[in-house]
Amino acid sequence: MALSLEHTEEYMRDPRKHQFSPYADNGGTSIAIAGDDFVMLASDTRLSQGYNVLSRNHSKCFKLTSQTLLSSTGCLADVLTLTKILEARLTNYAHEHLETMSTTAIAQLLSTLLYWRRFFPYYVSNILVGFDEDGKGVVYHYDPVGHMEKMTYCASGASVTLIQPLLDNLVGGKNMKDGRTTPITQDFAKRLIHDGFVSAAEREIATGDGCTIYTITKDDVTEETFKLRKD
Amino acid sequence: MSILQYNGGCVVAMTGKNCVAIATDLRFGTQFSLIQKQFERVFQVGPKLFVGLPGLTTDTQTVLQRLKFRIKMYEMREGRRVQPKVLMAMIQNLLYERRFGPYFVSPIIAGLDENDKPYICCFDLIGCSTDPEDFVTAGTCEESLYGLCETLWRKDLEPDDLFEVISQSLLNAVDRDAISGMGAVVHIIGLWSDSYIAIFNFCVGIL
Amino acid sequence: MNISRQLVNPMLWSGGPVPGEFYEFPRICRKTESDPLKHTLYPSTSGTSVVGFTYKDGVMIAADTKGSYGSLSRFMDIDRLFKATDQAVLACGGDIADYQFIKDVIEQKVRDDECAGSMKVLDAGSLHCWLTRVLYNRRTRFDPLWLDCVVAGFKAGKPFLGFVNKIGMAYEADEIASGFGVHFSLPMIRDARDKKSELTKEEARKLMRECMKILYYRDCKAHHKYQIADITAEGVKIDVCDFKKETNWDVAFYGN
Repeated sequence: MALSLEHTEEYMRDPRKHQFSPYADNGGTSIAIAGDDFVMLASDTRLSQGYNVLSRNHSKCFKLTSQTLLSSTGCLADVLTLTKILEARLTNYAHEHLETMSTTAIAQLLSTLLYWRRFFPYYVSNILVGFDEDGKGVVYHYDPVGHMEKMTYCASGASVTLIQPLLDNLVGGKNMKDGRTTPITQDFAKRLIHDGFVSAAEREIATGDGCTIYTITKDDVTEETFKLRKD
Repeated sequence: MSILQYNGGCVVAMTGKNCVAIATDLRFGTQFSLIQKQFERVFQVGPKLFVGLPGLTTDTQTVLQRLKFRIKMYEMREGRRVQPKVLMAMIQNLLYERRFGPYFVSPIIAGLDENDKPYICCFDLIGCSTDPEDFVTAGTCEESLYGLCETLWRKDLEPDDLFEVISQSLLNAVDRDAISGMGAVVHIIGLWSDSYIAIFNFCVGIL
Repeated sequence: MNISRQLVNPMLWSGGPVPGEFYEFPRICRKTESDPLKHTLYPSTSGTSVVGFTYKDGVMIAADTKGSYGSLSRFMDIDRLFKATDQAVLACGGDIADYQFIKDVIEQKVRDDECAGSMKVLDAGSLHCWLTRVLYNRRTRFDPLWLDCVVAGFKAGKPFLGFVNKIGMAYEADEIASGFGVHFSLPMIRDARDKKSELTKEEARKLMRECMKILYYRDCKAHHKYQIADITAEGVKIDVCDFKKETNWDVAFYGN
């Protein structure tokens, strides 16, 4: 996380010393893994604030086009605003150009939108997934002020420190004798996402309740869910 | 940044089938600058007993010296070696004596007990301990270690599998932590037959 | 130094007016005097929890009628819940002045729609969405409306329950509470749902009464009198309830 927010419930403070913070940390974790002909995006379904669970059924994934998905975690108020603006820009583009925006173009647009708020940032960790010009699965990862990196796999959000090294090892083949030699299959990616979330839910309080996995291929987007621990 | 993160470093311990493993990275630095890359923070304190002391290095060294002293006193007075659970109580006392001006270390114990059963244990900096059956982690990349251990660890791992699991857990965790790394040392304490106990020490990762 | 100010322990009378002095708003920050803009960066008269949940026929939502001024129980008969349209009810915790302001704006908006001959009535989904934008916009200008809003009603013919707070954080759920309701009422509602997934109107009303009662027992800023809105396909019904006579305070005198 780029920023750390100190959390105090309102009623715990001296009523005379009410202070206004424009940010909140609403938790949430996402994982993205890209293969040669598919890309997967998954997020947990817990919405939290401090020690409170606000909702157990709140997915952080947004379907932008038939080939591009976005996952945003962090401050929910900013997530809602950012995705609304993004969706409006995509609709405008579609009306002006009579075609849907490509993943690579959306990736650049998102970076620009984030940087517009450089000095009052959206407190959001984004992952954008889709296909590049060659039709290969891609994952774009962002920091809150618009730094963008193209990858083949990544994690973001509350449990990023728990999951990212796992992906480095098992998807990236880091610290293996010959690295990764075989291509990623859908089945392998799905199992890894499952294990990653189960492990994270075990140790991280802002992650849990359930998980939604979206799989995008050339033809369609499929969705499936599984349960995580609720405590 | 917390004083616990001033020098960097981490330790992890795991149980297996009739064996335990404890591993540490080798970096010693001050914040983001490197001082030494051959610094071990896991120490053998008995024939089949190890202790890891990640945290502020000056306290690592002080706690180690005071612990060695207490172990020797115990062994002279009692005429027997310290067992893991004895060491656990010893560390609890040592740390809690400094309740309001603590040593900034989060110790980890790994060893085989008097019945050669695996035993692992970890503490916070004022001596609160827990001895789970699977694994314990401490240090600057504790969270990453938890993420990996939760996924890779299985019950009743054989020594060679345990070595692989603990090595991969540690190496991939330290690679995502700027103030840990510079290679690692893994110690496997195993019961090979009824009476034969062997300890293997390995250096892994980029040195 | 004023004597009355010395007599009053500030911790006991926190946020309240000083006795024997002119009535003055507390916590006026002198530093911002040069600032031409007046921003609500703290609440004055405030309301406490709001509780709402969906049931078989629609949505139920309740808020008590107390307005607190710091730790002083300042107003006992304030409304914090109103019917915007036949399909939307808004209830708020937080600053009462901000609630009354947003209420006026919404009512004017509904009238404008009517006068313009709009074919569509503002439903709960639209009101919720509109509120997220208004509140987010105000927080971005560092001039927030200090509110925890719960919107209840219907959206495209289906029961709807949504939350928005002062920073524009919004979500929809089958049970929503704000303030102390998060800690006391949400577990009660979720527990009731675990036992029976679809609550009837009577069960829902009874559950709501129980929620408000527990809040009255435990939240010192809650009140025994409360407004309850029941939104069904037929429309909105708002009642005022009072359970003062039912409460049992024996435990408070234990040992005396």
